[in-house]
Amino acid sequence: MHERSEQDGRLTALMRLGQDGDRGAYAAVLSEVAALSRQMVRRRFAFLQPQDIEDLVQDVLLSVHAARSTYDPGRPFLPWLTAIARNRMADGARRYARRAANEVVSDRLPETFPGEETNTLVDRYGDSEALAQAMADLPPGQRQAIELVKLRELSLKEASAVSGMSVGALKVAVHRGIAALRRALTGRC
Amino acid sequence: METAELIKRLAADAPTVRRLPTPWLRAMFWLAIALPYVAAVVRGKLMMVDPSQTLADPRFMVEQAASFATALTAAFAAFGSVVPGFDRRLLLLPLGPLALWIASVGQGCLQDWLQFGADGLAIRPDWDCLPSATIIGIIPAIAMVVMLRKGAPLHPRMTLTLGALAVAAISNFGMQFFHFRDASIMMLFWHLGNVAVLSTLAAWIARYVLGWRHARAAR
Repeated sequence: MHERSEQDGRLTALMRLGQDGDRGAYAAVLSEVAALSRQMVRRRFAFLQPQDIEDLVQDVLLSVHAARSTYDPGRPFLPWLTAIARNRMADGARRYARRAANEVVSDRLPETFPGEETNTLVDRYGDSEALAQAMADLPPGQRQAIELVKLRELSLKEASAVSGMSVGALKVAVHRGIAALRRALTGRC
Repeated sequence: METAELIKRLAADAPTVRRLPTPWLRAMFWLAIALPYVAAVVRGKLMMVDPSQTLADPRFMVEQAASFATALTAAFAAFGSVVPGFDRRLLLLPLGPLALWIASVGQGCLQDWLQFGADGLAIRPDWDCLPSATIIGIIPAIAMVVMLRKGAPLHPRMTLTLGALAVAAISNFGMQFFHFRDASIMMLFWHLGNVAVLSTLAAWIARYVLGWRHARAAR
Protein backbone atom coordinates (compact mmCIF):
# COMPACT_ATOMS: atom_id res chain seq x y z
CA MET A 1 0.00 0.00 0.00
CA HIS A 2 2.79 2.35 1.06
CA GLU A 3 4.79 1.30 -2.01
CA ARG A 4 1.87 2.10 -4.26
CA SER A 5 1.40 5.59 -2.83
CA GLU A 6 5.14 6.18 -3.18
CA GLN A 7 4.94 5.12 -6.80
CA ASP A 8 1.90 7.36 -7.29
CA GLY A 9 3.74 10.34 -5.79
CA ARG A 10 6.76 9.75 -8.03
CA LEU A 11 4.61 9.41 -11.15
CA THR A 12 2.59 12.51 -10.24
CA ALA A 13 5.77 14.56 -9.92
CA LEU A 14 7.19 13.17 -13.18
CA MET A 15 3.93 13.76 -15.04
CA ARG A 16 3.78 17.35 -13.80
CA LEU A 17 7.29 17.89 -15.22
CA GLY A 18 6.29 16.09 -18.41
CA GLN A 19 3.27 18.38 -18.85
CA ASP A 20 5.62 21.34 -18.41
CA GLY A 21 7.76 20.15 -21.32
CA ASP A 22 10.46 18.04 -19.57
CA ARG A 23 10.98 15.30 -22.15
CA GLY A 24 13.18 13.13 -19.92
CA ALA A 25 10.57 13.08 -17.14
CA TYR A 26 7.85 12.34 -19.68
CA ALA A 27 9.84 9.42 -21.14
CA ALA A 28 10.26 8.07 -17.58
CA VAL A 29 6.48 8.33 -16.99
CA LEU A 30 5.74 6.55 -20.25
CA SER A 31 8.20 3.75 -19.41
CA GLU A 32 6.47 3.17 -16.06
CA VAL A 33 3.07 3.44 -17.73
CA ALA A 34 4.15 0.75 -20.22
CA ALA A 35 5.27 -1.57 -17.41
CA LEU A 36 2.11 -0.98 -15.37
CA SER A 37 -0.26 -1.40 -18.29
CA ARG A 38 1.58 -4.54 -19.41
CA GLN A 39 0.88 -5.99 -15.94
CA MET A 40 -2.78 -4.97 -16.15
CA VAL A 41 -3.22 -6.43 -19.64
CA ARG A 42 -1.51 -9.69 -18.67
CA ARG A 43 -3.69 -10.03 -15.57
CA ARG A 44 -6.88 -9.44 -17.51
CA PHE A 45 -6.05 -11.15 -20.82
CA ALA A 46 -3.74 -13.98 -19.83
CA PHE A 47 -4.65 -15.86 -23.03
CA LEU A 48 -3.30 -13.16 -25.39
CA GLN A 49 -0.18 -13.64 -27.49
CA PRO A 50 2.80 -11.43 -26.49
CA GLN A 51 2.44 -9.28 -29.64
CA ASP A 52 -1.28 -8.67 -28.88
CA ILE A 53 -0.34 -7.65 -25.32
CA GLU A 54 2.22 -5.18 -26.71
CA ASP A 55 -0.41 -3.81 -29.12
CA LEU A 56 -2.66 -3.03 -26.16
CA VAL A 57 0.22 -1.54 -24.16
CA GLN A 58 1.05 0.75 -27.08
CA ASP A 59 -2.62 1.70 -27.40
CA VAL A 60 -2.57 2.73 -23.72
CA LEU A 61 0.62 4.76 -24.27
CA LEU A 62 -0.86 6.60 -27.27
CA SER A 63 -4.05 7.30 -25.30
CA VAL A 64 -2.09 8.60 -22.28
CA HIS A 65 -0.17 10.85 -24.66
CA ALA A 66 -3.37 12.10 -26.31
CA ALA A 67 -5.07 12.74 -22.95
CA ARG A 68 -2.09 14.16 -21.05
CA SER A 69 -3.69 17.62 -20.82
CA THR A 70 -6.58 16.14 -18.80
CA TYR A 71 -4.31 15.12 -15.93
CA ASP A 72 -4.52 17.36 -12.88
CA PRO A 73 -1.32 17.05 -10.80
CA GLY A 74 -3.39 17.89 -7.73
CA ARG A 75 -4.98 14.44 -8.03
CA PRO A 76 -3.39 10.97 -7.82
CA PHE A 77 -1.89 9.63 -11.04
CA LEU A 78 -2.72 5.94 -10.83
CA PRO A 79 -6.57 6.24 -10.89
CA TRP A 80 -6.17 8.51 -13.95
CA LEU A 81 -3.98 5.93 -15.67
CA THR A 82 -6.21 3.02 -14.64
CA ALA A 83 -9.28 4.71 -16.14
CA ILE A 84 -7.50 5.10 -19.49
CA ALA A 85 -6.04 1.58 -19.41
CA ARG A 86 -9.44 0.03 -18.59
CA ASN A 87 -11.05 1.95 -21.42
CA ARG A 88 -8.43 0.80 -23.93
CA MET A 89 -8.59 -2.79 -22.66
CA ALA A 90 -12.38 -2.81 -23.05
CA ASP A 91 -12.00 -1.52 -26.62
CA GLY A 92 -9.27 -4.08 -27.20
CA ALA A 93 -11.54 -6.86 -25.95
CA ARG A 94 -14.29 -5.74 -28.35
CA ARG A 95 -11.77 -5.67 -31.23
CA TYR A 96 -10.49 -9.12 -30.26
CA ALA A 97 -14.04 -10.55 -30.09
CA ARG A 98 -14.87 -9.08 -33.52
CA ARG A 99 -11.69 -10.52 -35.02
CA ALA A 100 -12.21 -13.90 -33.35
CA ALA A 101 -15.75 -14.08 -34.76
CA ASN A 102 -14.38 -13.72 -38.30
CA GLU A 103 -11.37 -16.02 -38.05
CA VAL A 104 -11.16 -19.82 -37.93
CA VAL A 105 -8.32 -21.27 -35.92
CA SER A 106 -6.85 -24.33 -37.62
CA ASP A 107 -4.03 -26.60 -36.49
CA ARG A 108 -3.42 -27.83 -40.03
CA LEU A 109 -3.26 -25.49 -42.97
CA PRO A 110 -5.54 -26.58 -45.81
CA GLU A 111 -2.64 -27.66 -48.06
CA THR A 112 -3.96 -29.88 -50.86
CA PHE A 113 -1.15 -30.14 -53.38
CA PRO A 114 0.25 -33.46 -52.15
CA GLY A 115 -3.16 -35.00 -51.45
CA GLU A 116 -4.07 -37.89 -53.78
CA GLU A 117 -7.74 -37.06 -53.76
CA THR A 118 -7.03 -33.56 -55.06
CA ASN A 119 -4.81 -34.79 -57.89
CA THR A 120 -7.48 -36.31 -60.09
CA LEU A 121 -8.59 -35.03 -63.45
CA VAL A 122 -11.85 -33.22 -63.03
CA ASP A 123 -12.61 -32.91 -66.74
CA ARG A 124 -12.41 -36.57 -67.64
CA TYR A 125 -14.51 -37.24 -70.71
CA GLY A 126 -14.79 -40.96 -70.25
CA ASP A 127 -15.56 -42.62 -73.55
CA SER A 128 -14.25 -40.34 -76.34
CA GLU A 129 -15.78 -42.53 -79.06
CA ALA A 130 -19.21 -42.18 -77.50
CA LEU A 131 -18.67 -38.42 -77.38
CA ALA A 132 -17.67 -38.32 -81.09
CA GLN A 133 -20.76 -40.43 -81.93
CA ALA A 134 -23.02 -38.16 -79.87
CA MET A 135 -21.59 -35.10 -81.64
CA ALA A 136 -22.17 -36.74 -85.02
CA ASP A 137 -25.79 -37.48 -84.04
CA LEU A 138 -26.52 -33.81 -83.24
CA PRO A 139 -28.55 -31.77 -85.76
CA PRO A 140 -26.12 -29.80 -88.02
CA GLY A 141 -27.02 -26.38 -86.52
CA GLN A 142 -26.38 -27.53 -82.92
CA ARG A 143 -23.18 -29.36 -83.92
CA GLN A 144 -21.80 -26.30 -85.70
CA ALA A 145 -22.75 -24.04 -82.78
CA ILE A 146 -20.93 -26.28 -80.27
CA GLU A 147 -17.89 -26.61 -82.50
CA LEU A 148 -17.58 -22.86 -82.93
CA VAL A 149 -18.45 -21.66 -79.42
CA LYS A 150 -17.21 -24.51 -77.17
CA LEU A 151 -14.43 -26.24 -79.14
CA ARG A 152 -12.92 -23.35 -81.12
CA GLU A 153 -13.88 -20.95 -78.32
CA LEU A 154 -15.03 -18.17 -80.64
CA SER A 155 -17.09 -15.38 -79.18
CA LEU A 156 -20.81 -15.42 -79.99
CA LYS A 157 -20.27 -12.46 -82.32
CA GLU A 158 -17.44 -14.20 -84.19
CA ALA A 159 -19.36 -17.50 -84.35
CA SER A 160 -22.35 -15.60 -85.70
CA ALA A 161 -20.19 -14.08 -88.48
CA VAL A 162 -18.75 -17.51 -89.40
CA SER A 163 -22.01 -19.48 -89.29
CA GLY A 164 -24.43 -16.81 -90.46
CA MET A 165 -26.68 -17.63 -87.45
CA SER A 166 -27.87 -14.84 -85.17
CA VAL A 167 -26.37 -14.53 -81.66
CA GLY A 168 -29.70 -15.51 -80.12
CA ALA A 169 -30.01 -18.58 -82.35
CA LEU A 170 -26.42 -19.60 -81.49
CA LYS A 171 -27.14 -19.38 -77.75
CA VAL A 172 -30.22 -21.55 -78.11
CA ALA A 173 -28.38 -24.05 -80.34
CA VAL A 174 -25.46 -24.34 -77.89
CA HIS A 175 -27.82 -24.82 -74.94
CA ARG A 176 -29.87 -27.49 -76.74
CA GLY A 177 -26.74 -29.20 -78.13
CA ILE A 178 -25.14 -29.48 -74.67
CA ALA A 179 -28.38 -30.86 -73.25
CA ALA A 180 -28.55 -33.41 -76.09
CA LEU A 181 -24.92 -34.49 -75.50
CA ARG A 182 -25.57 -34.88 -71.77
CA ARG A 183 -28.60 -37.03 -72.51
CA ALA A 184 -26.64 -39.15 -75.01
CA LEU A 185 -23.65 -39.69 -72.68
CA THR A 186 -25.31 -40.08 -69.27
CA GLY A 187 -28.84 -40.94 -70.11
CA ARG A 188 -29.96 -38.10 -67.79
CA CYS A 189 -31.91 -35.03 -68.78
CA MET B 1 7.13 -0.75 -33.83
CA GLU B 2 8.85 -1.66 -30.56
CA THR B 3 7.31 -0.18 -27.40
CA ALA B 4 10.66 1.42 -26.40
CA GLU B 5 10.85 3.14 -29.80
CA LEU B 6 7.27 4.40 -29.42
CA ILE B 7 8.07 5.86 -25.98
CA LYS B 8 11.12 7.60 -27.46
CA ARG B 9 9.03 9.13 -30.26
CA LEU B 10 6.18 10.21 -27.95
CA ALA B 11 8.61 11.82 -25.52
CA ALA B 12 10.33 13.66 -28.38
CA ASP B 13 6.92 14.99 -29.49
CA ALA B 14 5.81 16.32 -26.10
CA PRO B 15 5.85 20.09 -25.85
CA THR B 16 4.40 21.85 -22.81
CA VAL B 17 0.65 21.20 -22.58
CA ARG B 18 -1.99 23.49 -21.15
CA ARG B 19 -3.78 21.55 -18.45
CA LEU B 20 -7.54 21.46 -18.82
CA PRO B 21 -9.31 23.46 -16.10
CA THR B 22 -11.65 21.60 -13.73
CA PRO B 23 -15.04 20.49 -15.12
CA TRP B 24 -16.85 23.21 -13.11
CA LEU B 25 -14.62 25.92 -14.57
CA ARG B 26 -15.08 24.53 -18.05
CA ALA B 27 -18.88 24.44 -17.55
CA MET B 28 -18.74 28.10 -16.49
CA PHE B 29 -16.59 28.93 -19.48
CA TRP B 30 -19.08 27.21 -21.79
CA LEU B 31 -21.93 29.16 -20.18
CA ALA B 32 -19.91 32.34 -20.69
CA ILE B 33 -19.98 31.59 -24.43
CA ALA B 34 -23.53 30.21 -24.63
CA LEU B 35 -25.42 32.69 -22.42
CA PRO B 36 -24.54 35.97 -24.21
CA TYR B 37 -25.39 34.34 -27.52
CA VAL B 38 -28.73 32.99 -26.22
CA ALA B 39 -29.43 36.42 -24.69
CA ALA B 40 -28.75 38.09 -28.05
CA VAL B 41 -31.20 35.75 -29.83
CA VAL B 42 -33.81 36.25 -27.08
CA ARG B 43 -33.38 40.01 -27.22
CA GLY B 44 -34.22 39.98 -30.91
CA LYS B 45 -37.38 37.95 -30.25
CA LEU B 46 -38.52 39.89 -27.19
CA MET B 47 -39.24 42.87 -29.36
CA MET B 48 -42.20 40.85 -30.63
CA VAL B 49 -43.64 39.76 -27.23
CA ASP B 50 -44.07 41.38 -23.84
CA PRO B 51 -42.42 39.18 -21.18
CA SER B 52 -43.47 41.27 -18.14
CA GLN B 53 -46.42 39.00 -17.25
CA THR B 54 -44.50 35.77 -17.61
CA LEU B 55 -41.62 37.04 -15.48
CA ALA B 56 -44.06 37.47 -12.57
CA ASP B 57 -45.30 33.86 -12.88
CA PRO B 58 -43.75 31.58 -10.19
CA ARG B 59 -44.06 28.49 -12.42
CA PHE B 60 -42.09 30.29 -15.09
CA MET B 61 -39.34 31.01 -12.57
CA VAL B 62 -39.25 27.38 -11.36
CA GLU B 63 -39.10 26.06 -14.92
CA GLN B 64 -36.39 28.50 -15.89
CA ALA B 65 -34.34 27.73 -12.79
CA ALA B 66 -34.67 23.98 -13.42
CA SER B 67 -33.81 24.38 -17.10
CA PHE B 68 -30.74 26.50 -16.30
CA ALA B 69 -29.60 24.13 -13.56
CA THR B 70 -30.01 21.20 -15.97
CA ALA B 71 -27.80 23.00 -18.50
CA LEU B 72 -25.15 23.79 -15.91
CA THR B 73 -25.04 20.34 -14.29
CA ALA B 74 -25.20 18.52 -17.64
CA ALA B 75 -22.30 20.64 -18.94
CA PHE B 76 -20.35 19.91 -15.75
CA ALA B 77 -21.04 16.17 -16.07
CA ALA B 78 -20.14 16.19 -19.79
CA PHE B 79 -16.81 17.92 -19.12
CA GLY B 80 -16.18 15.63 -16.14
CA SER B 81 -16.80 12.54 -18.26
CA VAL B 82 -13.79 13.37 -20.47
CA VAL B 83 -11.44 13.42 -17.46
CA PRO B 84 -10.05 9.95 -16.66
CA GLY B 85 -10.69 8.96 -13.05
CA PHE B 86 -13.64 11.37 -12.67
CA ASP B 87 -16.19 10.07 -10.15
CA ARG B 88 -18.86 8.54 -12.39
CA ARG B 89 -21.58 9.06 -9.78
CA LEU B 90 -21.36 12.78 -10.57
CA LEU B 91 -22.61 12.01 -14.09
CA LEU B 92 -26.05 11.56 -12.52
CA LEU B 93 -26.06 15.14 -11.23
CA PRO B 94 -28.27 16.59 -14.03
CA LEU B 95 -31.02 14.09 -13.22
CA GLY B 96 -32.21 16.18 -10.24
CA PRO B 97 -32.87 19.47 -12.07
CA LEU B 98 -34.09 17.55 -15.13
CA ALA B 99 -36.68 15.77 -12.97
CA LEU B 100 -37.75 19.13 -11.48
CA TRP B 101 -38.05 20.60 -14.97
CA ILE B 102 -40.17 17.67 -16.24
CA ALA B 103 -42.28 17.75 -13.06
CA SER B 104 -42.92 21.46 -13.43
CA VAL B 105 -44.01 21.10 -17.06
CA GLY B 106 -46.07 18.05 -16.06
CA GLN B 107 -47.81 20.07 -13.37
CA GLY B 108 -48.63 22.70 -15.97
CA CYS B 109 -50.17 19.99 -18.18
CA LEU B 110 -52.28 18.81 -15.24
CA GLN B 111 -53.50 22.35 -14.53
CA ASP B 112 -54.36 22.87 -18.22
CA TRP B 113 -56.29 19.59 -18.23
CA LEU B 114 -58.24 20.51 -15.09
CA GLN B 115 -59.02 23.96 -16.48
CA PHE B 116 -59.71 23.24 -20.17
CA GLY B 117 -60.32 19.47 -20.28
CA ALA B 118 -59.07 17.56 -23.32
CA ASP B 119 -58.56 20.82 -25.25
CA GLY B 120 -55.86 21.78 -22.78
CA LEU B 121 -53.84 18.72 -23.83
CA ALA B 122 -54.15 19.15 -27.60
CA ILE B 123 -50.80 19.00 -29.41
CA ARG B 124 -50.52 21.25 -32.43
CA PRO B 125 -47.68 21.33 -34.91
CA ASP B 126 -45.42 24.27 -34.15
CA TRP B 127 -42.97 24.33 -37.03
CA ASP B 128 -42.52 28.11 -36.73
CA CYS B 129 -40.56 27.38 -33.58
CA LEU B 130 -38.05 25.14 -35.36
CA PRO B 131 -35.83 27.85 -36.91
CA SER B 132 -35.59 29.65 -33.54
CA ALA B 133 -34.72 26.39 -31.78
CA THR B 134 -32.00 25.67 -34.34
CA ILE B 135 -30.54 29.19 -34.30
CA ILE B 136 -30.51 29.46 -30.51
CA GLY B 137 -28.73 26.12 -30.07
CA ILE B 138 -26.11 26.34 -32.78
CA ILE B 139 -23.32 28.28 -31.02
CA PRO B 140 -23.72 26.47 -27.66
CA ALA B 141 -23.60 23.16 -29.56
CA ILE B 142 -20.46 24.05 -31.52
CA ALA B 143 -18.73 25.34 -28.37
CA MET B 144 -19.71 22.17 -26.50
CA VAL B 145 -18.34 19.80 -29.17
CA VAL B 146 -15.09 21.76 -29.55
CA MET B 147 -14.55 21.75 -25.78
CA LEU B 148 -15.44 18.08 -25.36
CA ARG B 149 -12.97 17.07 -28.07
CA LYS B 150 -10.14 18.44 -25.94
CA GLY B 151 -10.76 15.75 -23.33
CA ALA B 152 -10.32 11.97 -23.25
CA PRO B 153 -13.20 10.20 -25.05
CA LEU B 154 -13.68 7.47 -22.46
CA HIS B 155 -17.48 7.25 -22.78
CA PRO B 156 -18.36 9.01 -26.05
CA ARG B 157 -22.09 8.21 -25.92
CA MET B 158 -22.57 9.33 -22.34
CA THR B 159 -20.44 12.43 -22.93
CA LEU B 160 -22.26 13.59 -26.03
CA THR B 161 -25.68 12.77 -24.57
CA LEU B 162 -24.88 14.96 -21.57
CA GLY B 163 -23.51 17.67 -23.87
CA ALA B 164 -26.69 17.57 -25.97
CA LEU B 165 -28.78 17.78 -22.80
CA ALA B 166 -26.86 20.89 -21.73
CA VAL B 167 -27.33 22.51 -25.16
CA ALA B 168 -31.04 21.64 -25.32
CA ALA B 169 -31.58 22.91 -21.77
CA ILE B 170 -29.84 26.27 -22.35
CA SER B 171 -31.74 26.65 -25.66
CA ASN B 172 -35.00 25.95 -23.85
CA PHE B 173 -34.02 28.45 -21.16
CA GLY B 174 -33.78 31.14 -23.82
CA MET B 175 -36.82 30.08 -25.82
CA GLN B 176 -39.04 30.12 -22.76
CA PHE B 177 -38.79 33.91 -22.71
CA PHE B 178 -40.83 34.12 -25.88
CA HIS B 179 -42.71 30.80 -25.72
CA PHE B 180 -43.85 30.60 -22.11
CA ARG B 181 -47.45 31.38 -22.83
CA ASP B 182 -47.76 28.23 -24.94
CA ALA B 183 -49.78 25.36 -23.41
CA SER B 184 -47.73 23.12 -21.11
CA ILE B 185 -48.41 20.08 -23.26
CA MET B 186 -46.73 21.92 -26.12
CA MET B 187 -43.72 22.53 -23.87
CA LEU B 188 -43.67 18.89 -22.88
CA PHE B 189 -44.00 17.63 -26.41
CA TRP B 190 -41.85 20.11 -28.35
CA HIS B 191 -39.25 21.37 -25.88
CA LEU B 192 -38.66 18.22 -23.84
CA GLY B 193 -39.21 16.15 -26.98
CA ASN B 194 -36.44 18.18 -28.57
CA VAL B 195 -34.20 17.37 -25.59
CA ALA B 196 -34.93 13.65 -25.98
CA VAL B 197 -34.37 13.66 -29.76
CA LEU B 198 -31.15 15.68 -29.53
CA SER B 199 -29.75 13.48 -26.78
CA THR B 200 -30.62 10.28 -28.65
CA LEU B 201 -29.12 11.61 -31.87
CA ALA B 202 -26.00 12.66 -30.01
CA ALA B 203 -25.61 9.18 -28.52
CA TRP B 204 -26.00 7.71 -31.99
CA ILE B 205 -23.28 9.78 -33.66
CA ALA B 206 -21.01 9.95 -30.61
CA ARG B 207 -18.34 7.58 -31.89
CA TYR B 208 -17.91 9.65 -35.05
CA VAL B 209 -17.71 12.97 -33.20
CA LEU B 210 -15.65 11.87 -30.21
CA GLY B 211 -13.15 9.04 -30.16
CA TRP B 212 -9.46 8.32 -29.75
CA ARG B 213 -7.92 9.76 -32.91
CA HIS B 214 -5.03 7.26 -33.00
CA ALA B 215 -7.50 4.36 -32.71
CA ARG B 216 -9.61 5.75 -35.56
CA ALA B 217 -6.51 6.20 -37.72
CA ALA B 218 -5.48 2.58 -37.07
CA ARG B 219 -8.86 1.17 -38.19
